[in-house]
Amino acid sequence: MNKRLEHALNCEVQDQVPFLPAIYEHKAWFVGATPSQVARNADLLTSAVLAEYERVQSDALIVGIDVYNVEAEAIGCSVNYYDGNDNSVPAIGSKGAVFQGTEGVASLRMPDPQKDGRMPLNLDAARNIVKLLGKEIPIRGAVSGPFSLAAHLAGPGAFFLLTMTQPDLAKELLKFASEVIKQYGKAFIELGCGVIVFDSHASPDLLSPQMYHELVLPPTQEIIRYFRGLGLQDVPLIIGGNTTRILNAYLETGANNILCDTKADVKEFLEKCSKARRAFRRNIDSSDFLEVNSDEVFHRALNSLEESGRYPGFILGSAVLPYGTPLSHLTAMREAIREYKKRASSV
Amino acid sequence: MKELQDLAQSVEQGQVQKVSGLTQQLLDSGVSPQTILNDGLIAGMTVVGQKMRSGEMYLPEVLQSASAMHGSLKILKPHLVREGAQSRGKIMVGTVKGDMHDIGKNLVSIMLQGAGFDIVDLGLNVSPQKFVEAISAHQPAILGLSAMLTTTMLNMKTTIEAINAAGLRSSVKVIIGGAPVSQKFADEIGADGYARDAVLAVDKVKQLLGVSA
Repeated sequence: MNKRLEHALNCEVQDQVPFLPAIYEHKAWFVGATPSQVARNADLLTSAVLAEYERVQSDALIVGIDVYNVEAEAIGCSVNYYDGNDNSVPAIGSKGAVFQGTEGVASLRMPDPQKDGRMPLNLDAARNIVKLLGKEIPIRGAVSGPFSLAAHLAGPGAFFLLTMTQPDLAKELLKFASEVIKQYGKAFIELGCGVIVFDSHASPDLLSPQMYHELVLPPTQEIIRYFRGLGLQDVPLIIGGNTTRILNAYLETGANNILCDTKADVKEFLEKCSKARRAFRRNIDSSDFLEVNSDEVFHRALNSLEESGRYPGFILGSAVLPYGTPLSHLTAMREAIREYKKRASSV
Repeated sequence: MKELQDLAQSVEQGQVQKVSGLTQQLLDSGVSPQTILNDGLIAGMTVVGQKMRSGEMYLPEVLQSASAMHGSLKILKPHLVREGAQSRGKIMVGTVKGDMHDIGKNLVSIMLQGAGFDIVDLGLNVSPQKFVEAISAHQPAILGLSAMLTTTMLNMKTTIEAINAAGLRSSVKVIIGGAPVSQKFADEIGADGYARDAVLAVDKVKQLLGVSA
């Protein structure tokens, strides 16, 4: 088993900085398919993750393409898929919401991870990948965070408004969402897989720190406690945007590793995460990865490493990579890690 | 006028029923609908925009203020039409093909509406062809394109190319926004402007149309 990531998660010195680029829809590109095709076929998804492992050589793998949709779809939200060569990312449509405030949470059906929507498909792929690579590299099943799932169930705009107009109902929906996530995550864990929780709808770019604390933190803590209770040590929590303003609450979630997105203040993450002995993944800006050359990617990665690479809990990552990102960009990030290691050891 | 200040403050505080009540009260007392719009709703939403920028207000609070504003506009609209009130301009917005994210676009619509502009919202996942057809039909002064994904931002370029090909580019200014885009990207694809957030989008629209604050 690759121990590099494990050492970083324990904030222990490792041989080199771990590498975790955010590859979801881009997985499909490795097998010459579209995100819509791979998201609906367990064998293709398995092949895509295996191809990613071979070509990217990152330090953990994630099972999932459209990571925010799976639970919501299993509850009844409709997802738009794309035909032919259209490489758009499957997404819940504007009329996809299933939660109607008037009927309350009782109208929602608790999905069965073994039967409903694409949960079984993702679990099948996870089973295949764990069987083939489980002894070599950590495998994580993608699950939604409670706020993001609730936002999909009600429709994002309606749910944000609900938090103001009917906060108790919003809390009820968050509680329901948490139960769904716990059951889906448990199914991954039973396969010998880890989980990774995505909750970017709760980003402070949209939600106030106070609301995060009141509404999102309690169910998030509960989910993470639950996964930990099932024996899982590593529970990453991904929230994009400038999370500096909620960093204390982010650490209070209990997630053992968190995200320092491009917009967040890395100095504050370094200070607070080292005090809390918590690992974090720092994203380099990859929004223009389809436009820039690999030298630019190398320099961005090296700058980030020079800024934070001495912290043993530091992990180098990227924001979500667009479909079709040149492989040379990922190679450049890996090369930057090697270059940084060479420079650091010669000092 | 104290009542108008009260209206502006109630919009800012997202008091839906109070805003509708005050709007009707002001109309009944003979205040012109244009004054109610300018000194009540637009004034209130301007403060909302400022507070959003400074981190004092977030999306849920802004949506609540927007609800209050929409309630009032519903009452005001027939009066404004009857009086032949002039809009500050027609703005068309839409999220480009392949993209189902609408929070940012909706926020821009709210702030533009709150600044007195008429909005034509084409919704999500809008194809270049649909944009072209809608420009012909509605003749907006400005088109706002939104994208949240690095994959879909490329469809902004395709959309501008389609508008060019249809011979409509000179009739409409195009501005873009969304998490992955930048001024540099706007320049590269031939957009007329870029705005980092909803408040700056209003500033950009005013600047492009030569509308004073």
